[in-house]
Amino acid sequence: MLSRRALIYIGERLVLIAFTVVAVSSIVFVGVHQLPGNAFLSDRRIDAAAQAALLHHYHLDIPLFDQYRLFVSGIFRGDLGESLVNRGIPITPLLLREASVSLEVGATALLFTIGLGMVLGVIAAIRQNTWIDYLATTASVIGYSIPNFVTASVLVLVFAVYLYNWTGGTIYYEVGWDGTYGKLGQIFIPAFALGFPYASIVARLTRASMLEVLKQDYVRTARAKGLTDRIVIIRHALRNALIPVVTILGPLTIGIITGSVVIENIFGIPGLGKEFVNSILSRDYNIVIGVFTFYAAAIGVANLLVDLLYTAIDPRIRY
Amino acid sequence: MATAPGVATPDEYVGATIVREQTNLWADAWRRLKRNRLALVSTILLCGLVLVALVSLFWTPYPIWRQGVASTYQTPNSHFLLGADAAGRDIVSRLMVGAQISLEVGVGTQIVVALIGITIGLIAGYFRGWLDGIFSTLINIFYGIPDLLVALLLVLLLGRGLDKIIFAIAATRWMDMARLVRGQTLALREREFVEAARASGTRPNKILSRHILPNALGPIIVQATFGIPQAILFEAFLSFLGLGVQPPTPSWGAMAADGFHALRIAPHIVLAPAIALSLTLMAFNFLGDGLRDALDPRQKR
Repeated sequence: MLSRRALIYIGERLVLIAFTVVAVSSIVFVGVHQLPGNAFLSDRRIDAAAQAALLHHYHLDIPLFDQYRLFVSGIFRGDLGESLVNRGIPITPLLLREASVSLEVGATALLFTIGLGMVLGVIAAIRQNTWIDYLATTASVIGYSIPNFVTASVLVLVFAVYLYNWTGGTIYYEVGWDGTYGKLGQIFIPAFALGFPYASIVARLTRASMLEVLKQDYVRTARAKGLTDRIVIIRHALRNALIPVVTILGPLTIGIITGSVVIENIFGIPGLGKEFVNSILSRDYNIVIGVFTFYAAAIGVANLLVDLLYTAIDPRIRY
Repeated sequence: MATAPGVATPDEYVGATIVREQTNLWADAWRRLKRNRLALVSTILLCGLVLVALVSLFWTPYPIWRQGVASTYQTPNSHFLLGADAAGRDIVSRLMVGAQISLEVGVGTQIVVALIGITIGLIAGYFRGWLDGIFSTLINIFYGIPDLLVALLLVLLLGRGLDKIIFAIAATRWMDMARLVRGQTLALREREFVEAARASGTRPNKILSRHILPNALGPIIVQATFGIPQAILFEAFLSFLGLGVQPPTPSWGAMAADGFHALRIAPHIVLAPAIALSLTLMAFNFLGDGLRDALDPRQKR
């Protein structure tokens, strides 16, 4: 059960998130409206009267400050306006659906990142200064030096092209994405490419923090009691070694959001990242503003969750 | 009293001055860096990269704009050592010019980052108080914003020139440097030699430039070395998404994006820039690791 104090803390943070969201979207709003031209200027098929009607429909014919007032009041109603390119499509439901797709891929990538990173980190730590440790440490530098689109290219080449050729077309990964949420087999390759560079970072951090914890007295006590290595490591050491790893979950989430912009475009995943790049390329500024608003909210909530997790895992920390 | 031949008498001991080999921080660091094989190999690789970039200013095997119908999608052969791309352009030539772009972005960004980060870090760390409060809040706000998205927005607002991309990356990447310099300054300002300088009436800007900055230079160099691959990676991302330097500028990221649709029939178009990019980033990261160990031997991994 959440205490009263915890609820107040969460409430305060939510207010802060709302402020950040409005601030971020305001900056983007003002910035984007400084760009010359509008989305209808190049459309030669419409006459002047129709263009004026369109400008009026999108409130582009009123002073910027009034536009901004409408925009901010829209945010509080959860209304981000209409797409400028696909006219008549409301942005909020569109982005909500796309955000859920990004969440699906991002969460898989995050699980994979943490899982692989921690296993490698623990192995390197308990075999400190052996060739296994050196291999894992060197591999982690190589891991975060490889851009995710390079990992993605190699994975596609191996699993979609070579595997198809070797198995005569029975087992292979088909590049693509079916429907909104994709098929189960389609998610792993993009998620792997997305999480791979960050797994190295998690591995490094886990190794360092495990080495620190393994030197502690309570680990020696646990060993002296005659507990097996496995129980000492899992129950006594790993749990405390987890604390520093939790602290980088925030930056990790931002990293995965950033990476998803590239990965979703490569694999044709209809998520927020793909929409973001498309809206920039097609100059659909209403969607650009909307995506930024969404990202600001997502990052705020993710950081809040990390802080709550932090207090849950380490009882010494209070709100 | 007979002494064994070759053994010095006590008198000789006293008379001989013990000459200790003169050494300074940088010579010491260089000696340690040379023992780190990965860092040494990386240094050689990066020197080679700089050389290639310099050569590409004057000479490439083919002009980078030269297209050809016959050479379209050619796999590596004796004419085109790494093959040719979808427009029949020589990949080696384009990679060479791409090296130039990557290095410009990497080093250029770090120069801007160093200017912003060192200034903010020194001021925040030395004067503390409300200035520190403002700068620290600013740093925290920037950490909470996804850098790639802001850089994309800046490129959209500013345009797509190389200088604008360098500015956009630096504007979203200066915080690590500022935080590092601030931390160093906070620690150094309490040291005796800074106190002595202050007591003898040295002005703050002289204390910062003559006493604090030189002593923080080691970590700053390490940070900049790690910043270069991040900036290069960033530019590659932007170009890969089609929002980086203007095509047909042969940025490595743009080259990989160009070839992606033909991955099945001509993987070399993607793999050549991908490998060049990965090796460069790896070399900078290994060099950074090496420099960190060499410049600060107390902080063992």
